[in-house]
Amino acid sequence: MPLPHRLCSRFADEEAVVVARSRHSSRGSRTNVANGRSSGSFPDRRMPSSAPPPSPGYAQESRAKRAILEVFATWQTSAVRRAFRASLLLAVAIAGASITGCDAAEPTEPAPAAVGPSPLRRMSNGEYLNALHDLFPEVSPVLPALPNDTVVAGFENAAEAQQPSDLRIARYETIANLYAAAMTRDATSVQSLVGCDDWGTPDKAEACASKLIERMGRRLFRRPLPLEERARYAERFQGWKAAIDFEAAVRLTLSAMLQAPSFLYRPEPWNSAGNGATSSASPTRVEPYAMASRLAFFLWESVPDEALLDAAAKDELATEVQVRSQAERMLADGRARRTLWSFHRQWLGLGRILDEEHTFRTPQIDPHWSPSSPISATTESRLFVENVLTPNGTFRDLLTSRRAWIDADMARIYGVAPPANTGGFAEILLPEGQRAGLLTRVAFLAGLSHRGGTSPPIRGNGIELRLLCRLPLSPPPGADLSMPTAGPSDGPKTTRTLFEERTAPGKCQSCHAGLNGLGFGFEHYDAAGAFRAQENGLPVDAHGALFGTDVDREFDGALELSGTLARSEVVARCAATQWLRYATGRAPQDVEEPLLEGLTTRFRASDGDVRALMLAIATSDTFRLRSPEIR
Amino acid sequence: MKLHRRQLLKALGLGALSGMAVQASEEHARADVVTPPARIVFFVTPHGLVPNSWTMPIPDGASDRFSERALVGLREEELSTVLRPLHSFRDRILPIEGLSHTSALADIAELTRTGGDLNNHSVGVAHLLTGTRALQRPGSPCSGGARSLDQELALRTGAPGRFGSRVYGFDYVPNATVAPFSFLGPGQATPIVADPKAAYADLMGYYVPVAKGAPRDREALVAAMRPSVLGAVGREYELLAPTLGEDGRKKLEEHRRLVRELEASLGAGPQASCDPSFDRTGHDVTQLMRLVKLAFACDLTRVVTMVAPVPQCPELGYPAEATMHGYAHQSIAGATSCGTTFDPVAERAMTDLGVWYAKHFATLLRELDSVQEGTGTLLDRTLVVWLTELGTPTHAHHDGFTLLAGAQDFFKLGRYARYPRTLSNPIPDYPRIGPGHNRLYVSLLQAMGQSDVTFGMTTARGADGSEISLRGALTELHRG
Repeated sequence: MPLPHRLCSRFADEEAVVVARSRHSSRGSRTNVANGRSSGSFPDRRMPSSAPPPSPGYAQESRAKRAILEVFATWQTSAVRRAFRASLLLAVAIAGASITGCDAAEPTEPAPAAVGPSPLRRMSNGEYLNALHDLFPEVSPVLPALPNDTVVAGFENAAEAQQPSDLRIARYETIANLYAAAMTRDATSVQSLVGCDDWGTPDKAEACASKLIERMGRRLFRRPLPLEERARYAERFQGWKAAIDFEAAVRLTLSAMLQAPSFLYRPEPWNSAGNGATSSASPTRVEPYAMASRLAFFLWESVPDEALLDAAAKDELATEVQVRSQAERMLADGRARRTLWSFHRQWLGLGRILDEEHTFRTPQIDPHWSPSSPISATTESRLFVENVLTPNGTFRDLLTSRRAWIDADMARIYGVAPPANTGGFAEILLPEGQRAGLLTRVAFLAGLSHRGGTSPPIRGNGIELRLLCRLPLSPPPGADLSMPTAGPSDGPKTTRTLFEERTAPGKCQSCHAGLNGLGFGFEHYDAAGAFRAQENGLPVDAHGALFGTDVDREFDGALELSGTLARSEVVARCAATQWLRYATGRAPQDVEEPLLEGLTTRFRASDGDVRALMLAIATSDTFRLRSPEIR
Repeated sequence: MKLHRRQLLKALGLGALSGMAVQASEEHARADVVTPPARIVFFVTPHGLVPNSWTMPIPDGASDRFSERALVGLREEELSTVLRPLHSFRDRILPIEGLSHTSALADIAELTRTGGDLNNHSVGVAHLLTGTRALQRPGSPCSGGARSLDQELALRTGAPGRFGSRVYGFDYVPNATVAPFSFLGPGQATPIVADPKAAYADLMGYYVPVAKGAPRDREALVAAMRPSVLGAVGREYELLAPTLGEDGRKKLEEHRRLVRELEASLGAGPQASCDPSFDRTGHDVTQLMRLVKLAFACDLTRVVTMVAPVPQCPELGYPAEATMHGYAHQSIAGATSCGTTFDPVAERAMTDLGVWYAKHFATLLRELDSVQEGTGTLLDRTLVVWLTELGTPTHAHHDGFTLLAGAQDFFKLGRYARYPRTLSNPIPDYPRIGPGHNRLYVSLLQAMGQSDVTFGMTTARGADGSEISLRGALTELHRG
């Protein structure tokens, strides 16, 4: 099958298509979602190899860092990169000439910092609810729904899309009041919360109030409260106590703290100590308590625990070794499982099966489906991701393993015996030759189908967008995005044949060869995700082709495709990029290119060791340092 | 049953008010009777309308200039199919033919050259209420590039005790959690509520402090401290914001403003005499429309945006395996692209969909018309605007369906208006277009008492190089 030349708009199958048309959208220079660079500039002088970041505490450069720089050096010498840089340098030169009248001198500005920006981050809804759960595990009040986080590039924690709204502020107040009431529901609860059992005299009450403010402040704000802050809360406490009583003051203080910026947001004070920073423009080590929060929200999607706060108190999050030690401890904790699921759910769009369109499937049009299937499929995916990656699974396992945790609902779709424990999920091995990894599971297959029929372009687009980090192009105006159907006199046809006919015109093929080439590989799975050898009485043909990667090939079926993708550098880079995005709450920047190259190389070499990748990000400069803010 | 504010609060179990507050609010309510406030509802329905289902001929109407015909004397069957459910309101509506989503066309023309998400549907959504170039974020569908018109009006009409706006609505774009028509700022979707129960709780959620002499149980005392707690919270934002960089400072200052607003709202409560009852029966869309009436009658907001759902096909008598989205692409004869095929069934389905929306729209008008206000009804002082994000179901952006109702003091109602398509389309080889919807929005702003002369994009360029002005109101629609 010849490689397609991509010049026209790509016709994908629905509005979910995310688009970034490059003016030169040939295979070699297509816009990459992973880069996500708005400026597009990548001038040579910004490379950290020529301007290494002043990195306090980093006098002894780690082996890993040297490896990154070596990789980066390799990157720099590639022909593509040389051409790219040359064109950019030319553009910069032209721009400079136009500004300065062709007599521009060498740039004199200081080398930019080698770490990306650190925008103020608000807790995402997931982080907020996890935090409340972890802080107050003994209660679970019924909460009103929060407004959705605005999703950017699939992720719910994008700092750039966290503008507050009146509805969100009102919800925060309601939820704070509900938790505060639940945590002070009786005398025992108040005693437990405050850490005091006697507030009978004014002196004792004052001491207990101080204890509450100090304890709760430290857990909720993830840092000790300075004197003046404690004094403010103490004064308020006394006022509320005078107006009502001690218990009410506890409740109101907790409510106030749960709405405070230091709880809902993650302010990071500029580490004025500098830690050896050579100038005010240099990046400096993240302040210890802010580092504790960075680690906790990245690795647990929640607040730090006592051990992490203690480490911050002792300034034991300063070196790469110290951070690695804490991160390893945290990854071994059960809370890391939910991060593994949350990331993969967002990255691979596994929550798509919960969209409204799938709730209206009926057994008549999807014989294996039931109203509970979307929830079961989501749970199955969650258990698969959590269990396969814990304790030491790899991304390759995610794409190739036949292990599954299924209930009766999923058993029906997979065509296997239901688990003995009715109502629960049990581990099995799915049929060999039929299933391997996430791409052959119901959440992915059905989530990327119409109800009652598969759509190879949608599934192909899912692979392109999610796993290859490629932004597909728009369908042309007026394109027919409906499901193709056989004419009344045509006789039976397979979905593959119908889509081949629909997209046969040359102007469609120039785009659809790639989409269909991926999507046809999944035709052994119907719209519900059930395996089929035949469709409409005709044998299924699941041959396909993968284009524009380092592992281009023709393949037969999704199992071969999954195995190929698992060893692809393009996929590894996509994973590394999205993990970095998830960890930092923003798109990766030009200055992080060397980091990404190093992460990609190691991720691929380790068969996709997800934990090692998370550790590498947690110990990277961009995670441990921050640049001065614009004021 | 209509209650004055004191009775309303009692009915809501919110206790009595201080004498001073009551006096102030009753003065306000009396003032409202004399000069009812201007209000606006944006009723957004997805997928556009099939032109021949809603347009009407204009006897002797010329194609090169503005023309109109009266609707008042027409029988129901003389209206176009989609307009028939509005027959009883024919003297209070103003369907407008020929307006173009010109900013979207200009954006697509530019994106074709420069790159970005030019998916017709997401561009249409991003532009509908913003009228300006969409925000492009790599890896995401394009998004509104500026504060949308409803939120601009929300900022100008909100006040303590009165929400800037309410946004109600439903999913319809596959994979988007909500349909992001309304934007607080570039790429910042306004929260949207679909559940009528939650929406009602939001509307009635402002707590009123316990007044002197009222019975005080402990819970009431704790609840009465809400303003005090919010005051403390606001102070923390005030103290922290200046210590952060520009990005963080802006976020926290906005958060602080909203906390202060919430604090100020507590005890302000509904500002007009109104009926607080809420009938929780019927379709969710109907329930939300009752809430619009309640919110306006109680002056709890002056701006509502409602995004209508796309019904499942069986609800309109079509097969379960079909989708309205699928029908949309096949609903207009003559559209050609990769494999496009016209299907008369699809045309009928999209027409039925338009009728379904029109019936809901008529319900909204009836609800607003059921509340007496001064010598008229709520509808008389409420501008109700029906818009679609696409010009046609086949994702064109010219010839968008537009219909105004209410606000009889400002717009000339009871007629069908048509603008000529004499302007060059920004996209080469596309049909000529009429005035841009940015200019309609200028009219809406002026109807709401604002003095703006532009909104969003101010100029575009046709494919033939001509300049298309998007400035100024569509005065042909105005009274006087």
